Amino acid sequence: MIEVEQLRKVYGSTVAIREVTFSVEPGEILGFLGPNGAGKTTTMRILTGYLPATSGTARVAGFDVHDDSMAVRERIGYLPETPPLYPDMTVEGFLNFVARIKGVSAGDRAERVRWSIERCGLSDRRKTIINKLSKGYRQRVGIAQAIVHDPPAIVLDEPTVGLDPRQIAEVRNLIKSLAGDHTVILSTHILPEVSMTCSRVAIVNGGRVVATDTPDNLMAGRVGGAAYDLEIDGAESALVTLTEGEPPQLLDRALQLVERLQTLAGVRSVTPQGSPGDRPDRLRLKVAIERDTEPAQEIARAIIAADLGLCELRRSQATLEDVFLDLTTEEPTTPTETTGAIDSLDSVAADPEPIEVETSPESPPETAE
Amino acid sequence: MAVNLGHRLRVILANIVAIYQRELQSYFVSPLAYGVASIFWLIAGIFFVAVLLGPAGIIAQSAMRDMQGQQMGIPVPPIDVPYEFLKIYLGSLGSLSLFILPILSMSLYTEERKRGTIELLATSPITNWAVALGKLLGVLTFFASILAPILLLELIVLAASNPPISPWVAVSGHLGLLLMGGGVLSLGMFLSSLTASTVLAAMMTFALNLSLWIIDLLANAIGGDLGQAIGHLSLLKHYEAAVRGVPETGSVILFLSYILLGIFLTAQSVETFRFQRS
Repeated sequence: MIEVEQLRKVYGSTVAIREVTFSVEPGEILGFLGPNGAGKTTTMRILTGYLPATSGTARVAGFDVHDDSMAVRERIGYLPETPPLYPDMTVEGFLNFVARIKGVSAGDRAERVRWSIERCGLSDRRKTIINKLSKGYRQRVGIAQAIVHDPPAIVLDEPTVGLDPRQIAEVRNLIKSLAGDHTVILSTHILPEVSMTCSRVAIVNGGRVVATDTPDNLMAGRVGGAAYDLEIDGAESALVTLTEGEPPQLLDRALQLVERLQTLAGVRSVTPQGSPGDRPDRLRLKVAIERDTEPAQEIARAIIAADLGLCELRRSQATLEDVFLDLTTEEPTTPTETTGAIDSLDSVAADPEPIEVETSPESPPETAE
Repeated sequence: MAVNLGHRLRVILANIVAIYQRELQSYFVSPLAYGVASIFWLIAGIFFVAVLLGPAGIIAQSAMRDMQGQQMGIPVPPIDVPYEFLKIYLGSLGSLSLFILPILSMSLYTEERKRGTIELLATSPITNWAVALGKLLGVLTFFASILAPILLLELIVLAASNPPISPWVAVSGHLGLLLMGGGVLSLGMFLSSLTASTVLAAMMTFALNLSLWIIDLLANAIGGDLGQAIGHLSLLKHYEAAVRGVPETGSVILFLSYILLGIFLTAQSVETFRFQRS
C-alpha cells in the first residue's frame, strides 16, 4: 500500500532524513518510532505530498507522491502534528468542508460526515463550534477530517500528544479499529503506544530507519531477550568486598555460585551486578536465559544447595524502551555514506538540530522578507 | 476525454465554491470584520452628509452658483448635481477603501498558516490557484456586501434628483470601485501569503496601495515615455476614469490584470513556501 524507497530530504545544509526505506502492507498499522528530530514529521509530509523529497521515491496505492500528487492526495488522510481546524466552524460544517475539498461527491457527503462523526465519538458535539472544544475533542475532529473521505491510507503524526490518559486510550482504540479497512502510519515517541496499537514498528534515528519488525520480535531479538533478576543473601558472610574507590569484588562463595549457575541448562550468561547499597552480604545477578526456557526452579535449587538465601527472583523482559534506547543511542558502526560532512551529522542523539527545522511550520520562509 | 475534462472542470469549480463559501462564512462570524464594516459605514455616512449637505457640499455650492449668476446677470451653466455628487462621493469611498481593504485581506493566508490549515489545503486534491481564487471571491463578496447599504443611501438621493442621472454613470462608477477593490485585495492576498504576521501583511498591503494610488505623481515627475508607462499603473487615474462614467477598456484590463497577477503570485508563493522551507 505504501512503499518508501531511499527517501532523502535536505533543508539547506541540514539533512533531515537521509535514507528512509520501508513499506506498509494493506490493513497494517505501522508505528513510526523515533526521538524528536529523527525525521518522522518530514517523512510524513513527503508521503502526503506537502513537501517534495530531495531524492528517492514514495508511492501510495501505486501512485508516486510527486508525479501523481493529486491521485495520492485523494487516497490519503493526514493528521498533522497540530490538527488543522478552522476554529470558527462547527464540527459538522468543518467536516463537510473537508469532505468537499477532498472530492467526496455531493451524494455521499452527508453519509461520510455522519460516519466519521460517529466513528470518532463526536455525535454529541456535532453542532459545537470547534473553538469551544477541548483538546481531546479537537484531536478527534483532527482524526475525523483525516478519515472523512474514506482514504485507503491514513497518516497520523503524533495523534495522542497532549491528551489525558483516558483520551489516549480512546484515540488508540479508534486507531486500532481503523486497521483492516485502512492502512495506517502513526508516528510517535511514546513507546507503549507502539506496542499497544501497532502491528509493525519502524524505528527511525538520525534520518534513517534502523529497524523494522513486529514489536514482539524487536523485544525478543534485541538487548539479550528474557532474563531473571536475582538477589542472593549470604546470611552473615559477605559475598562482595566493598572498598572505597574500587569496583566491588566477588568473594569465593559468590564466584562458585556464578560458575554453578552458568552450567545450568537454559542459562546463557550470568552477570553480577554488585550488591544493593551498603550490604556486602547480598549480591544481585542478572541471568540471561535462552528463548522459551524456564530454568527458574533449577536456579533456585542451585542457590539453596549452595546454602545461600534467595531474596528475589524476578523475570525481566527487555522492554521496547530498551530496544529503542539500544537502537537510537548506538554509534553507527558501518558508515554507509562516506562524505565527511554527512558523517559528522550522524550523532543525532547529541545533535538535536533537525528538530528545529521540522517543528516550525509557522515560521515564514526565507523568501518572505 | 471530453467527459473526463468536463468532470475535472466540475471538480475544480466545486472546490472553488467550497473555499469561497468557507471564506465568506468566516467573515460573517468574525468580530474584526464587523468592526471594519461599522467603521466603514460610519465614515462613509459622514462623507455622505458632508458631500451632499455640508457647508461646502454640493447642494450649497450649486445654490451659491445660481445666486451668483442671478446677481451678475450672466447665465452660468448649471451644475449637474447628481453627477457631481456621485463623482465626489465615489472618489471619497475609493480613498476610504484604501484603508479598509488591507484589513480585509491581511489574514487571508496568514491565518491559514497560524492555524496549520495550510497543511490541510496543501494535502487535499485541490490546486493552489483554486484556493486563491476561492478566497479572493470570498473577500470580494464581503467587500461588496459592505458597500451594499451605502448603495441604498445613494439610491435615495439619486431617485430624488431631477433630471435623473444616467444609470450607466452609476453602474460604471460602482463597478470601478468593485474592480479596484478586487485588484487591491488580490495583491493584498499575495502579500499575506508571504508572511505569518497579520500586522506585517496589512502594513505591506497598505504601503503597496498607497504607492499604486499616488504613482501618478511619480509618473508626472519623470515624464516622457517611461513616465507615461508608469502612470498607467496608477489605481487613482483608472478609478477616476471609471467614476467619471467613461468606462475605458484600458482601466478594466488594468484592474483585471492586478487581480490575475495577485492570484498567480499567491499560487506561486504558496508553492514556494512548501518547497523551500528551510
